[in-house]
Amino acid sequence: MSTFKDLVNVAFNGLFARKVRTLLLLLGPMIGVAAIIASVGLTDSAKGDLKQKVAKLGTNLIEAAASSSFGGQNPTLPTDAVERALSVTTVETVSAVVELSNIVVTPYEEAREKFETVPIPVLGTDSNLPEVLQVDLVSGRWINQFDEESDVRAAVIGVGLAREFDVLPGENRTIELNGISYGVVGILNSVELEPGFDNAVFISFSRAELDFLNDDVEPNKMYVRCTEGTEKETSEALKTAVNLGGPQEITTDIKSEALELAAQSDRQLQMIVISMGLLAIIVGGLGIANVMSISVIQRSAEIGIRRALGHTRNIIAVQFLFEAIVVGVVGGILGVLLGMLAIFIGASIAGWVFVMASWLAPAGIILAITISILAGLYPARRAAALEPLETLRLG
Amino acid sequence: MNTLSSTQAIEVPTLMELSHVSRVYGTGEAAVWALRDVSLTIRAGDFVSIVGPSGSGKSTMLGLLGCLDVPTEGTITVGGEEVTRLADAARTRVRGKSIGFVFQQFHLIPHLDALGNVETALLYRSLKPAERRERAMASLERVGLGPRADHRPVQLSGGEQQRVALARALVTEPKILLADEPTGALDTKNAANVMEILAGLQSTERAVVIVTHDASIANSAARKISMLDGGIVSDEVLR
Repeated sequence: MSTFKDLVNVAFNGLFARKVRTLLLLLGPMIGVAAIIASVGLTDSAKGDLKQKVAKLGTNLIEAAASSSFGGQNPTLPTDAVERALSVTTVETVSAVVELSNIVVTPYEEAREKFETVPIPVLGTDSNLPEVLQVDLVSGRWINQFDEESDVRAAVIGVGLAREFDVLPGENRTIELNGISYGVVGILNSVELEPGFDNAVFISFSRAELDFLNDDVEPNKMYVRCTEGTEKETSEALKTAVNLGGPQEITTDIKSEALELAAQSDRQLQMIVISMGLLAIIVGGLGIANVMSISVIQRSAEIGIRRALGHTRNIIAVQFLFEAIVVGVVGGILGVLLGMLAIFIGASIAGWVFVMASWLAPAGIILAITISILAGLYPARRAAALEPLETLRLG
Repeated sequence: MNTLSSTQAIEVPTLMELSHVSRVYGTGEAAVWALRDVSLTIRAGDFVSIVGPSGSGKSTMLGLLGCLDVPTEGTITVGGEEVTRLADAARTRVRGKSIGFVFQQFHLIPHLDALGNVETALLYRSLKPAERRERAMASLERVGLGPRADHRPVQLSGGEQQRVALARALVTEPKILLADEPTGALDTKNAANVMEILAGLQSTERAVVIVTHDASIANSAARKISMLDGGIVSDEVLR
């Protein structure tokens, strides 16, 4: 144990005596480790952000939209599409919407001129939508069964529209849909997967039918929550279940897939930067091997005198190896700190959450030490092989 | 002048013995016999000088006496142990335990201060740092360099550097102190000072061996061994 302490001391003394050289030696493992830590950490931070979104939204949300292979305009789903969808056993909840066209939305009639050209989507929907999308209301309530069955004109507006119209939470306000006054009963929070909902107006199917449609309501889109992990099968089953051999077709889209895809494309970038970091570490290792080999020649007199004083070849070898290891440890630690700083700065600028996997720091340091040991082996062996008689130049 | 009597040899312990030692460099036609069939005994209390011109084999002799090299033929015994039979690591340990070195070029480690240089000789000996420091300090004080313990070699004069080297050689309490041209790089005053210290170091338990080509240094020893062409030509007691 005291031998170990002696070796560490000798290694530190040797390195401290040549500060500039030691600093240069440190750069290799330091930059390499920092690059690897930063690349993994930054892509993780970006991923962590996406993952947070996915976790919040759930991976099991499917969007089923009406489509027509015959190129017909405004394709719709069957009126009983929701019931048909619920017949799929893996489907948990369903909500349908119909987008109404040509409706001018204004905060009050006098402002019609100003808002006439601003397209604000108006959707007829059922009482399930917030539950299916897992989104809450900023204030008020959602459209309910009462709205559906009575003649009350109730509307819920998106949070963006509320801002636009200066609607305060809880305020009793009306908005005009083609000049028909609707009471604002609630404000819907942002929907991550449907940014368009931020500026939309939601009314009940029955109201949509009475005020804006001359026909039965045929939804053109459904949101489906299925059992976690059955997204693919459910998507396929929905197509058949909703279509039922009729003329109306649907396309399905798993909403989280795009996000997961984004996380994957980051992994390629991660691999590129990791390989560059590895390259930096390897070049750094070669630098250590090179500089230490020269150092062995320069310090041959020191090696000779140490051998004369009774230090064995092994001790000499380990002494030089320890110098390399100290470079690895210190370079590794500095690299980890530098990498963390890079993640922190990068994540702050990009507005991500700081994410650093717990294995990164030890892995970076171990990598730096491994490389420095490998780099130190050759010079250490050369130092040990020196003959004291030849290096001491006896008179 | 009188030669060593056989009775003395029995009373005084033998520290080192070279028996029919030869050292050949190279092989075949290119072979050079640096030493040829040399026998020599060094006893406790000896203050020996080995003198001879360049090429006489005294450097080879120093390497063998210091266990830095092994002979091609013959045996070397240090403190009763036949070092010629030992592996490199074991021989190194014998060297560390029994032999102290002083070189012409001092060979101090430049990045360590005087104390650190002396301490280097005590590394890897399972000593507590405080004890090691204490012993190194005592050794420095012995050569009169206590106040210069924290000076680096470049901050010391040649004479002082050689005294640090002496302190380093002595700190392990070696049985044999080997000095290779210890005054070769020093001016007259410093040379005299170093020789004075060396002369005071041989004791009933220790021998001091000086290898030199300088006749006046050689003659200041108690016993003078003269070498020529790889052999000992005379081994005389001067006082």
